Amino acid sequence: MTTDPAFWHRLQFAFTVTYHYLFPQLTMGVVGFLVYWTWRGQQPGGEPAAAAARFWTRIFGLTFALGVVTGIPMEFQFGTNWGAFSDYAGGIIGQTLAMEGMFAFLLESAFIGALLLGAERLGPRLHLAAAIGVAAGSWLSGYFIIVTNAFMQRPVGHLVTDGRLAVADIGAYLLNEWAWIEFAHNQAAALVTGSFAVAAVGAFYALRGEHLPQARLYLKHGVLAGLVASVLVAFPTGDAQAKIVARYQEPALAAMEGRFESGPMADITLIGQPNVAERRLDNPIRVPGMLSFLAFGTFHGDVRGLAAFPENEWPDNIELLYYAFHVMAGLGTLFIGVLALAVLLQWRGRLATWRPLLWVLMLAFPFPFIANTAGWMTAELGRQPWLIYGLFKTSDGISHVVSAGNVVFTLIGLCGLYFVLGLLYLFLVGREIAHGPHA
Amino acid sequence: MIGLWFALLAFTLILFVVLDGWNIGAGVLHLFLAGTEDERRRVVAALGPLWSWHEVWLVAAGGVFVLAFPRVMAAGFAGFYLALWLVLWAFILRGIALEVGAHLDDPLWRSAWHTVFACASLLLALLFGVALGNVVRGVPIPASGQFSMALFTTFDVRGDVGLLDWYTLSVGIFATALLAAHGATYLRLRTSGALNLRATTAAHLTWGAVALLFPVVTFETWVVRPELFAGIAARPAAWLALAAVAAGVFMLSSGLRRASESRALAGSSATIAGLLASAAAGIFPDMLHSTLAPHFSLTASAGATTAHGLRVALVWWPAAAALSFVYAAVVARRTHGKV
Repeated sequence: MTTDPAFWHRLQFAFTVTYHYLFPQLTMGVVGFLVYWTWRGQQPGGEPAAAAARFWTRIFGLTFALGVVTGIPMEFQFGTNWGAFSDYAGGIIGQTLAMEGMFAFLLESAFIGALLLGAERLGPRLHLAAAIGVAAGSWLSGYFIIVTNAFMQRPVGHLVTDGRLAVADIGAYLLNEWAWIEFAHNQAAALVTGSFAVAAVGAFYALRGEHLPQARLYLKHGVLAGLVASVLVAFPTGDAQAKIVARYQEPALAAMEGRFESGPMADITLIGQPNVAERRLDNPIRVPGMLSFLAFGTFHGDVRGLAAFPENEWPDNIELLYYAFHVMAGLGTLFIGVLALAVLLQWRGRLATWRPLLWVLMLAFPFPFIANTAGWMTAELGRQPWLIYGLFKTSDGISHVVSAGNVVFTLIGLCGLYFVLGLLYLFLVGREIAHGPHA
Repeated sequence: MIGLWFALLAFTLILFVVLDGWNIGAGVLHLFLAGTEDERRRVVAALGPLWSWHEVWLVAAGGVFVLAFPRVMAAGFAGFYLALWLVLWAFILRGIALEVGAHLDDPLWRSAWHTVFACASLLLALLFGVALGNVVRGVPIPASGQFSMALFTTFDVRGDVGLLDWYTLSVGIFATALLAAHGATYLRLRTSGALNLRATTAAHLTWGAVALLFPVVTFETWVVRPELFAGIAARPAAWLALAAVAAGVFMLSSGLRRASESRALAGSSATIAGLLASAAAGIFPDMLHSTLAPHFSLTASAGATTAHGLRVALVWWPAAAALSFVYAAVVARRTHGKV
């Protein structure tokens, strides 16, 4: 395996994109709070919101910077590491990659520096416009990249000419049903990450008994937005996502559930270990009929198992795919429970004082990052062995002229560089949190 | 249609070089021009809040590349694998230095990031020159259309060439001098006091170096790729570009002499834009010239996507570009002036 260049190209892309996406999910999640607090801060009596906006803008700026510097390599890797894929599909995916640069990045980058300069330099109107511009840019960027990914999951709007893909119907490509569902699911999940981060900082200050008015504000807004978002992640967006996987990527759905046999009344597995060699799930705890219901809306829906498909159509890492999906779904369910309890306490006016839940909220902030990452692993591992589903295999997509030695070289370098960047980020954000918001 | 997209690609790249070029050039000169911590802080502040908007034009150019010329982009990016990763490292380090350098009020922290900023900028200037040198000289494309190039081979410009040879290194050094001169001209506009005086001196010195190096690099280019000049002579677009160079040089020299700082920067920008545009016009229709055999070269028409794809992009691309100039103008209007 490790002598195959494709393995190293995949590992490098998986590493760089996973690391990169830790930052945009937080910026896309926090940016809504930022716009709201900036606007609210300009209204009469809005000083607490203005202080919150100033404080979170500093954290946002650091996160945004890390997102940008780790994002530029992603664009380049389409050519450096996935040259054959770009050669084959650039005629269509190039449209959205270029749109992301032209509509989203140029918008964000024009306003991010201004946003960081602050209201004193810009005046209130331009300051609010900068916050809105950055918010719109970051969400647009998400949409264009998800259209690109949705094409890889379910290609539409293309034609094949001269052995390469080109645009046939740009409207169909941009409004791919898969893209809308995936975007809604993904943005709601990013909002969960942002909400947990806001609530965690609030919980930290509340537990320490400092910056209490700000702590209450973060807790209140964090758990409210978080509960709405985490419900949206499950329903309707997660549900719709499961249904389109069931419709267009049957082997992926079977592998996500570790299901080998076919039939109606398909179970959902809460826990268990896939044993691919023996074609079974070890130590399963199941809920009967739920998978049929979730995938098709009826308990009698026939969910085909992996045995119904030739092995060369199976995702090539069933174990990881199975766990990724279960980690995502399990955490998503827990988020709803924790946040529902928190909102209940908030409603009773006791959230900022009930310490056990404050501890949970403070320590929970890494889990939405894990759930988002696991969700993307589910999407990308489920797509295998295809790079573009049904059209183009992953192993055919690499830059064939780039040797494994070159990729290992750059991957090792990136591990070192990204480790340092991570330390730097944690140090600087930790410093901002220790420093605290100043009213 | 293909010629138009080639021109748009050149336009986007030139915009990047002119706009981010002054940030890069300021970075190259950073440690030489600014002695005290306060001066260094002012150099960084002089880049202004739009520096990352400038940088994004390179990403935009990458977008035009994959959108309009996917085959050339795929071959080129894979062929320049290690060189591009060096560019990425330089971008990452420069971006981090500019974003976090001011976060701590600590002399060690600040001087470390000032040094990172200067070194990353120097590396970017050198690498962009080397990249331009490679595009002009050509790369070892075989019959398959896919090439893989070593960082260095024999340092010769024919046959199985590497990234670095005597020609591409010359262009790299020339580009470093040119961007440093552009950066000095920019800093002269954006600074005051002692820093302004030093930037003025640096502008005179670096433009002097550019004037000395230019004939050398032009002669070398004639040795390496004589048909480039035939291309320039044959294309009216290239004449226009040369006229821009002439006008730019005139504005630059009068701007430098008469202390008209904005005129000098406009002249400097026009000079760089004109030089690059004439090179692009001279290269067309080749995009990646083969040093192994001319008929292996990747041309714009062979590397382009379908006419329909190009037409679709022509609907939204100019609108997006125009919008982005509006945002940048709004921000620039509030933040221009001396630091």
